[in-house]
Amino acid sequence: MTRAWVVALVLASCGDEPAPVRAPIEPVAASGALRFVDVAASAGVTATTWCGRPEKPHLLESGGTGLALFDADRDGDLDLYLVNGWRLAGDQVVERSKNVFYSNRGDGTFEDATERSGLGDDGWGCGVEVGDVDGNGALDVFVTHFGPDVLYLGRGDGTFERASVSPGLDGWSAGAALFDGDRDGDLDLFVSGYIEATLEEVLAAEPTLDWKDLKVMFGPFGMEGERDAYFENDGHGVFRDATEEAGMVDVGLYYGFGVLACDFDDDLDLDVYVANDSNPNYFYRNDGTGKFKEIGLWSGAALESSGRAQAGMGVAAGDVDGDGRADLLVTNFADDFSTLYLNHGECLFRDATSPWGVRGPTYEFLSWGAVFEDFDLDGRRDLFIANGHIYPQADLVAADSLGYAQTNLVLLNEGKRFRDVSDEAGPGLAVKASSRGVAAGDLDGDGDVDLVIANVDSAPTVLRNESTRRGAWLVVDAPGAIRVEVRCGEQRAVRHQVYGGSFCSPSDRRFHFGLGGAARADEVVAVWPDGTRVEHKDVAPSRVLALSR
Amino acid sequence: MNPKLWIAGALVAGFGMLSFTQETPKATADTYGSLADTILAVKRTEANFVRALLDGHHHAALSFHQRGNSERASAEMSLFANEGDNAIGGVRKRLLEGGHHHNADGESKGLYEAGYVVVTKKAKEQLLAASAAMRAAKTDAERSAAWTQFDAAAAPLLKGK
Repeated sequence: MTRAWVVALVLASCGDEPAPVRAPIEPVAASGALRFVDVAASAGVTATTWCGRPEKPHLLESGGTGLALFDADRDGDLDLYLVNGWRLAGDQVVERSKNVFYSNRGDGTFEDATERSGLGDDGWGCGVEVGDVDGNGALDVFVTHFGPDVLYLGRGDGTFERASVSPGLDGWSAGAALFDGDRDGDLDLFVSGYIEATLEEVLAAEPTLDWKDLKVMFGPFGMEGERDAYFENDGHGVFRDATEEAGMVDVGLYYGFGVLACDFDDDLDLDVYVANDSNPNYFYRNDGTGKFKEIGLWSGAALESSGRAQAGMGVAAGDVDGDGRADLLVTNFADDFSTLYLNHGECLFRDATSPWGVRGPTYEFLSWGAVFEDFDLDGRRDLFIANGHIYPQADLVAADSLGYAQTNLVLLNEGKRFRDVSDEAGPGLAVKASSRGVAAGDLDGDGDVDLVIANVDSAPTVLRNESTRRGAWLVVDAPGAIRVEVRCGEQRAVRHQVYGGSFCSPSDRRFHFGLGGAARADEVVAVWPDGTRVEHKDVAPSRVLALSR
Repeated sequence: MNPKLWIAGALVAGFGMLSFTQETPKATADTYGSLADTILAVKRTEANFVRALLDGHHHAALSFHQRGNSERASAEMSLFANEGDNAIGGVRKRLLEGGHHHNADGESKGLYEAGYVVVTKKAKEQLLAASAAMRAAKTDAERSAAWTQFDAAAAPLLKGK
């Protein structure tokens, strides 16, 4: 029915420039009262995600796992897919734990539908990405592994079939992004490789690295990096390795973790950002034809402001300062801060970690997945960061250490800086775990954004959003759109599509807006990579607006 | 055995060993000396190589700056600051993994990043700031100021000790 409202306007040029942003959507009142409650048990999300041995003698056992929120069965609600690793004891594999697929009943509670779905992969899973690779209208699932990566082709009814040939790496891959790199209408694939290792090495590993007078797992320094790779889709879900011709060779063999694709320079093609552990991050700028140039150092987004490479883990993108451009956040190791890079246009970034209040709150934590979402619907993108140490031995060091299991962080966007409101954000933010991936989406259909967090060797945390609402909401479902703009009077908000992201954990791909003080949206515009613009006027809030080309 | 006799025996044996080590054949010591010369020369060569690399980025940056291409100039300036691109970074990573730290003492004092040969932490920060200023420059005066800032930090590094 919503398609009847769609007005398609195909632009002659692909080099569409966004209109100048006047002002972000005005909040209805001073922001406040974020509140989250962990409802994992009552929602039926109880599966444990394993990652090796409790003592973690090998680096592989520190990586944890990701998760995905997507509508697998096209019934309008978000289903949940948890990636699982293996359980080890001594030098033995105790359990090849299966990935778990939870089908949403429509009210934010879930039933385990793993067997029926065909998604019960029992490889050592690391991350996941979702997208329609064969163009049949159903979402497919790509799982990164320690071992060969695997593609599952969706039928659109919540069931999947393992592809006979899967793209990806046969090693330790972590992040992945399915995105249309060459603008030919199908989804290509970028996969980050972390380090080279064998199962024999993992099983035989001993903690040998000196850390705070303790012996902990060795690495990543001293270990060979696994390469990153880019695969081009032939339009039918068959991929070929096009890493070199696309200009995406991992020349440094850096330790790649979080990956995302997003249009950072608003030229209607998708650029790729890779968080590299302990090395400069990669920023691949797309020239519009599927050829990329690595411009990390030049862009200002490879290093923190003093020129130091950090231990990149996860990555988030979104417009946090209301200028219409997608900014970046990279999470890093403990005793270092997560870094916020503000986008000044043309792929030029400046480290704004300190002025935006991110440095202090994130410094002690070891951080992983991260998402920018408007939790209180005030029109501004807030920030959630999942934390957890990699060394269980962290519990044995000084009393002021945060330890292995850590609380997560939520930072409220106050327009010109973030404020750490974690301590006042309800019992959900008091949960301690060694968290890794986080994905965001409206699980219970009430219009606000909830969160699911993967935890190492324990069940996930499911955070139901019970924040005080500062405005109405609007969700725009525009598959394939590169960005969506919502105008309310003289104010405008922009949401960019993000492929991949967080730590190996894709969020709901629909565009979620808080409208702040506005009663209605005067105009909603979705823009696709081929320049197609679909506009809709005078949109009532509290609904999902479907737009398609 | 009487402890005093035991200690005396040990001392005699120790002097004996010392005497033995002092009798290392001259040719052996000379060979080790030559090897030391080679090792130290390799270290000097590494520094010269990195300086040549930096000189290349400096020339390229200057050339782009003089032709008004501030985007490419800024890119070359950032590569200078990083002691090379990611391919060079990969080699640096390999050397570190093999235990080679060109400026081990400087690293322990917090003056150098791990594996860096010429560019100090302080210089890197100044050079990257100049690169950022160049890419953000809107006027000739701003571009010129960014170049001056860069050149001031780069020149002593190229000159060496």
